[in-house]
Amino acid sequence: MSMFFRKSILAATGLFLCIFLLVHLSANALLLLPETTARGLYNGYSTTLRESLVIKIVAYLLYLSLIFHVVYAGIVTYKNRQSKGNPYVMNHKTETSTWASQNMGVLGMLILIFIVVHLVNFWARVKLGIGETVRTDVAGNLDVYEVTYTLFHNIYYVLFYSVLMLPLGFHLHHGLQSAFKTLGFYHKKGLAVLAKISLIYAIIMSVGFAIIPIIVYFK
Amino acid sequence: MTLDSKIPAGRLEDKWTSYQAKSHLINPANKKKLNILVVGSGLAGAGAAATLAELGYQVQCFCYQDSPRRAHSVAAQGGINAAKNYQHDGDSVWRMFYDTLKGGDFRSREANTYRLAELSAPLIDHFVQQGVPFAREYGGVLANRSFGGVQVQRTFYARGQTGQQLLLAAYSQLSKMIRAKKVAMFARHEVLDIVVIQGKAKGVIARDLATGEIKRFAADAVVLATGGYSRVFRLSTLAIGCNGSAIWKAHKRGAYFAAPSFTQIHPTALPQTSESQSKLTLMSESLRNDGRIWVPKKKDDNRQAKDIPEEERDYYLERRYPSFGNLAPRDIASRAAKERIDAGYGVGQLKNAVYLDFKHAINKLGKDVIQDKYGNLFSMYEKITGINAYEEPMKISPAAHFSMGGLWVDYELMTSIPGLYAIGECNYSDHGANRLGANSLLQTSIDGYFILPNTINNYLEGELKETRPDVNHPEFVKVEDEVKSQIGKILAINGHRTTDDFHRELGKVMWQECAMSRNKKGLEKAILQIKEIKDAFWKEVKVTGHDNEMNPELEKALRLADFIELAILMCTDALERNESCGAHFREEYQTEDGEAMRNDEDYKYVSVWEYDAGDFKLHKEVLEFEYVQPTVRSYK
Amino acid sequence: MKITFKIWRQEGANSEGSFKTYDIDGLTEDMSFLEALDHLNERLVLKGEKVVAFDHDCREGICGQCGVFINGRAHGPHDHMTTCQLHMRSFKDGETIVVEPYRAGAFPVVKDLVVDRTAFDRIIEQGAYITAKTGTAAEANAILIPKEVADNSMDVAACIGCGACVATCKNASAALFTSAKINHLNKLPQGQPEAHRRLVGMTDQMAIENFGSCTFTAACEVECPAEISISSIAEMNARYVKAKLFG
Repeated sequence: MSMFFRKSILAATGLFLCIFLLVHLSANALLLLPETTARGLYNGYSTTLRESLVIKIVAYLLYLSLIFHVVYAGIVTYKNRQSKGNPYVMNHKTETSTWASQNMGVLGMLILIFIVVHLVNFWARVKLGIGETVRTDVAGNLDVYEVTYTLFHNIYYVLFYSVLMLPLGFHLHHGLQSAFKTLGFYHKKGLAVLAKISLIYAIIMSVGFAIIPIIVYFK
Repeated sequence: MTLDSKIPAGRLEDKWTSYQAKSHLINPANKKKLNILVVGSGLAGAGAAATLAELGYQVQCFCYQDSPRRAHSVAAQGGINAAKNYQHDGDSVWRMFYDTLKGGDFRSREANTYRLAELSAPLIDHFVQQGVPFAREYGGVLANRSFGGVQVQRTFYARGQTGQQLLLAAYSQLSKMIRAKKVAMFARHEVLDIVVIQGKAKGVIARDLATGEIKRFAADAVVLATGGYSRVFRLSTLAIGCNGSAIWKAHKRGAYFAAPSFTQIHPTALPQTSESQSKLTLMSESLRNDGRIWVPKKKDDNRQAKDIPEEERDYYLERRYPSFGNLAPRDIASRAAKERIDAGYGVGQLKNAVYLDFKHAINKLGKDVIQDKYGNLFSMYEKITGINAYEEPMKISPAAHFSMGGLWVDYELMTSIPGLYAIGECNYSDHGANRLGANSLLQTSIDGYFILPNTINNYLEGELKETRPDVNHPEFVKVEDEVKSQIGKILAINGHRTTDDFHRELGKVMWQECAMSRNKKGLEKAILQIKEIKDAFWKEVKVTGHDNEMNPELEKALRLADFIELAILMCTDALERNESCGAHFREEYQTEDGEAMRNDEDYKYVSVWEYDAGDFKLHKEVLEFEYVQPTVRSYK
Repeated sequence: MKITFKIWRQEGANSEGSFKTYDIDGLTEDMSFLEALDHLNERLVLKGEKVVAFDHDCREGICGQCGVFINGRAHGPHDHMTTCQLHMRSFKDGETIVVEPYRAGAFPVVKDLVVDRTAFDRIIEQGAYITAKTGTAAEANAILIPKEVADNSMDVAACIGCGACVATCKNASAALFTSAKINHLNKLPQGQPEAHRRLVGMTDQMAIENFGSCTFTAACEVECPAEISISSIAEMNARYVKAKLFG
């Protein structure tokens, strides 16, 4: 299988995950509303997601994307390691490239750890019913708001959820523009715009996801 | 042996066509049986190797670099001439022929020079076909610029990297034939001697530079395409590895050497700044299209260039040569610079440079236009000197550059050893006593692509009948032993001086006595000095490491040993020629205002030297000018 | 000026290498980096030691033969510069300079600082040419090429094949080198007839030679002496995607 194919899978799944994050963040923003409105909207939204057929298909695509992204990142990294000869004794990598671009693997691993914890906290409880049972709210929806609210009143979880958005930001900043280039976007002026969009996107995502637990904590 | 230049009969315009019509052909099945060695992978070597392979011959090609793409053709900057007359400015094959002959001060053959001009246009077609990204006009047609020594615009270029682009095209074509298994490429292999059996070139002895292994290669013909030998001056615009070893060994085996002392000193190189300097970087002559050359009118003027007002600047080329001005040919521009520097008007730390100023051009055309034309040269200048030439003038100085001299070849590019060919800069063919700018890429390409592939069959046809000696032939054994014994000898000296030390000493003598201006006394002294250097070298040089490994110090020493001997021949040649012509300027033969005085009566010949057991015997190839009467070469 | 060189010494491809330290005096700021190595080598010869082997030839930044890793950077501390163009004025008196050969699986060490870059030649052999024999060309101006196209082609054709892109890449990817050559020819009308064959042949060979895949760290474009942009790699990818999707 060609190196183009491997990199393209990585790029395409990455871009899909980027779109997902955008949707995810806008939904999370509901948590910032006053409790009474937020609880109803958030729980309703979460129920809709679980019951819509379209969303179900998208969800499976999402799982697949994530799995492929991780697996192919592993394969690409492994192959690239094989290509590299003996390491340099002195290597000033950061003079020629960003730290993030040199460490996408490490950043990705941190994000993966986050995702696993995040899934245990929410997905496993809400979707699979593992762990403490989730209560229903007045409208009869599972009270995901309550789950979130409780979790984010634990300072350790707040720190975990907020701090790990930093590697996410770095990963996205490099990943978004790299994905476009991998898939063949090469317009010279466009690339400069792309670099800016990637930066803005990465900041919005990391800051956005990071401040929500903090705000909820102080609510 | 008599010198037969084999110039075909007939009108000048028809000679090449009629030659081709009459030359022997070899059928494709037989070509496969013939094996040709090509030594060197520059434009001449790669072009020849690829084209010969396309024709069906089995080719083996050698280069000392790690890849054929590095050959020094890569460094030619300015461009390549062709009589296309795209500018509608009165150019023609005839005019180009005339310019080249005159530029060479009437010391080359009419027939060769005419052929050079004649084949120039198809060569541009060829390179365009091969994907060379030549500069274009907005309408999509090819662009041209002018170059020193001519009054028409016939130079094609790819920014300031024309040589690189042409070489990469040749390298690509060569790679195509390597993939097709028609060429076997031996990179990091240096040819150290030629094997001549029963008077014919039948192979080479080469050293694998990565392992030190000495190898024998047998063939039906050997083509030398080894480039110039100006590293004899040590400081030159050439690559550090450029050498004269293969042609020198060929000379010692019987190939005649023509006009060895004709060396072009390029007027626009960067000046030397220290003793330990290893090379002088060339700044393309094309810069003279828009740059103006000057020195201060006052001696030892220590002011910054920008502080010297216009009226205190001496634009000496424009003053001395009003019709050509800054575009005077190289030999003239170099000598004029030397004259000013020697008279004490030089600028820079060592007072060894002149200014090349773009102020006027930038004011007139704008910085963008200058940047578009010469951007990479300006950035190269800044990398090396740390100076921004958009703000202040460049400092330039003459440097040893091109070898017009080289192995004597006939019209078929064959040396005086049957089956041994010399193409490109390593032969003496078209440039006479001075080469015009942008004619070098032209000659080297044409030799390799167009001429040799059409002449070599004439010889090889006769070789079909004979069996190729294999590498176990006693002569191969003998030559290999000689090569090994020379290596052994150098390694065994274990003296107390480095090769570079000797090279610097040789370079100084050569630059002083056998470069831009020469005189009898100096040359006689130089010959004695070089002989002393030679003696000392073989007693005192120290080379560490072994023969059976990669050993750059040994490579250098072997090359220098040959350069020292070549230097003696160069001085001998310069001493013999009692006239000034082209790049050969003998101080005794100049007019009152310092211009060269040619002597057609006594020296209208090419000096052709035969090696004679450490001595040199002169043969003369008298030049007949049927179509152009030699005139005084004036650029005033 | 005085410099301490810490240089990688390795007898041959299969031997173990190690760093050796050399204190060297008498250098000047005007010297090029390679002249400083020459200077060191002369001292070594006089001491009876073997010289440091390093690749170099034209010493004017165009042949691409020189190239070592200097103080953690391919071709030394400056951007867009070859080793031969680096001058000692870029270092401080008394500084220690660490010199290593280029490191990549596809560039095995031959000796000391010399590496084998013939993998590049083999990539070229897989299609970086126009298959047309000498003597078959039509009139040059019969092919009109817009100035912009010729200029863009020249931008990438300027590659000198030094290998700094591979050396500096964390993945030892040859994507910048390969894309430069593919784009040079595939942009031009002359390159069209075998554009696809060239694209596939050369990129396949890149993998066969064990070069890694590009992850767009962009370190290569910073080191590239010919200032080739990584947009060249993206353009190669675009050609590839287009070829795979639309044939």
